[in-house]
Amino acid sequence: MAEITFSGVTKVFAGNVTAVDNLDLHVADGEFMVLVGPSGCGKTTALRMLAGLEEISSGTLSIGGRVVNHVLPKDRDVAMVFQNYALYPHMTVAQNMGFALKIRGESKAEVERKVREAATILHLGDYLDRRPRALSGGQRQRVAMGRAIVRSPQAFLMDEPLSNLDAQLRVEMRVEIARIQRLLGVATVYVTHDQIEAMTMGDRVAVMRGGQLQQVAPPQVLYDHPANEFVAGFMGSPPMNLLRVRTSRSQGRVGLTVGAQRLDVPAAYGATHDLSRDEGAEVVLGVRPEDIEVVGGGVGGPTLTTRVERREALGAEILVHLSVADSGAASSVAYDEDLAVSRPTTLVARMAPQARVEVGDVLTVRLNEERLHFFDADGGVTLRRERP
Amino acid sequence: MTGSTLGARAPRLTLRRRRQLAGALFALPAVGLVVGLIAVPIGQAIYYSFTQWDGLTSTWVGPSTWSQAFHNPNLWTALENNAWLLLAVPFALGLPLLIAMLLHQRVIGWKIFRSIYFLPTAISWVVLGLVAERFFAFQGTLNSLIHFVGLGHVSTNMLGYESTALSALGITFVFTMIGTNTMLFLTGLATLDTSLEEAARIDGAGRWRIFRHITLPHLSRFIQLAFVMTVIALFSALFSLIFVMTGGGPGYATTTMEFLIYQTGFAQGDFGTAALYGLILFVLTAIVGIVQLRLIGSDE
Repeated sequence: MAEITFSGVTKVFAGNVTAVDNLDLHVADGEFMVLVGPSGCGKTTALRMLAGLEEISSGTLSIGGRVVNHVLPKDRDVAMVFQNYALYPHMTVAQNMGFALKIRGESKAEVERKVREAATILHLGDYLDRRPRALSGGQRQRVAMGRAIVRSPQAFLMDEPLSNLDAQLRVEMRVEIARIQRLLGVATVYVTHDQIEAMTMGDRVAVMRGGQLQQVAPPQVLYDHPANEFVAGFMGSPPMNLLRVRTSRSQGRVGLTVGAQRLDVPAAYGATHDLSRDEGAEVVLGVRPEDIEVVGGGVGGPTLTTRVERREALGAEILVHLSVADSGAASSVAYDEDLAVSRPTTLVARMAPQARVEVGDVLTVRLNEERLHFFDADGGVTLRRERP
Repeated sequence: MTGSTLGARAPRLTLRRRRQLAGALFALPAVGLVVGLIAVPIGQAIYYSFTQWDGLTSTWVGPSTWSQAFHNPNLWTALENNAWLLLAVPFALGLPLLIAMLLHQRVIGWKIFRSIYFLPTAISWVVLGLVAERFFAFQGTLNSLIHFVGLGHVSTNMLGYESTALSALGITFVFTMIGTNTMLFLTGLATLDTSLEEAARIDGAGRWRIFRHITLPHLSRFIQLAFVMTVIALFSALFSLIFVMTGGGPGYATTTMEFLIYQTGFAQGDFGTAALYGLILFVLTAIVGIVQLRLIGSDE
């Protein structure tokens, strides 16, 4: 078991395409680190560099204190679970799982014992003599896990191992993988594009975009205190609402305008956030869907008048799409390509299924004044003074 | 009254029956071709093997052709030559496998090499035979090379001696098969999931183990196919090479079953015996094919 450190690791592919840009990341011994991000963000390339399947263009990569930049995959003592499982089709389950041990020169009895042990953990005992093609998707996934765990490696590397499973099985295996990782206590780097996997499985989550690390933090910290608009928009489903607003101060209070509407924000935000802008400067206000509630008129706090545009009933909750009345002028940009974030002109609110809301209703909603987020309108960086 | 109307109608064919009929109908053209082009000629060959036939008139002679043929030493020489030539098969598979592995590594200039190796396939075997004849001739390229490296005393006319002519033919055959088999193996390698190789690398396997445990098992079907194709070519497509290079000689040193059929039928005008030899060759080829199919089947 060992810790993993990326120091300024960069990968430039032919044609001068930078896949990973100056990555600094430390994975502690026994930690479950999730690398998450959209397609092409460099997460898989980072994992493949760690496995030794891609060369590192610059920087230092170490496993257990040993620099492995030029160490062959076979000598890194890491085990990898591939997206398509990469099970050897002509070998039985037992042979698949025991292959690495056999190569290592372990005795037949020892290989058999370790394979049986792993098979017990993974409930694969009855399938050891089968070929991969005679297994279901979930069983194949388990064999791929088994092949990794029999080796007792220094680290597990997992490349979107659940993406080929159906939704229900994915939920089961999510729990299963997390359980096995905790049981074995091996440092794990897990790549996914699914933010639910990232939130539920990782001790910490590293969010990547365009080859660059955006934020590394425990899942809840990431959710509660996103470092920038991208992280705010990526983590959470539906994502955080991001509205372009203008600052307007009066009598020492922080005021914001959304189109013609004025939004009062507690004065404390002036202390914790860098909102000292010129009158009328643009900032981005972020609010999670669950932090919007319907209130009657004449209530204090940050309230907005909205109109119900759409209503999606999901059973346990309903998602209500609200257009902010007269907000057109303030929200001219719906999608910022540089920042890869959407700033729609509507808000999505998460409500209880009992909420009597119909399309066309005009509602006054209050934003949870303790859970507002502010980002720079140009760079997308959080305006919080103290970073978590 | 609707019920009684329905009941009065002629019973319709069940779906199952209709599907069977449609299947048979679609298979009919293929069955016709197989019967017309394969089954009928085989039947004719069997019939003619019991006749004395000069190509125009045939006289029924019964099994005497058979007993005479099996006492003909040339038949046994030809069979022996065919057996010896089988030794070329491992080379006709091994070399292309090696070349395909190298090309698959995307060595510098692999596209050019690929074209070069495939070239023999695109050239008529008659031309290849002529080139080979010049290559092995006493004053040919091979001996020039041998002289060049200072081994002039071992230079020989390979095609001129009974002891070496068959080897020269075998080498030429290997050369002609390189293109086809290399392409076949390259296709096989292209279908190999690269993540299997990566998984094996991470599992601790080096190049040799990856080849032995991952690549080779994946290629087994391609190797089996190449084996069948090569053996069939060896038994039934060497004619043009032999005709151009040696004419079956010296003596009967390079006469294979296929060439013997030609000589017996067309040179000696004994089509009855030639038909019998054709049957023997057919049975030999069929045995190889069946054994091979069994081997492929046993994997499933």
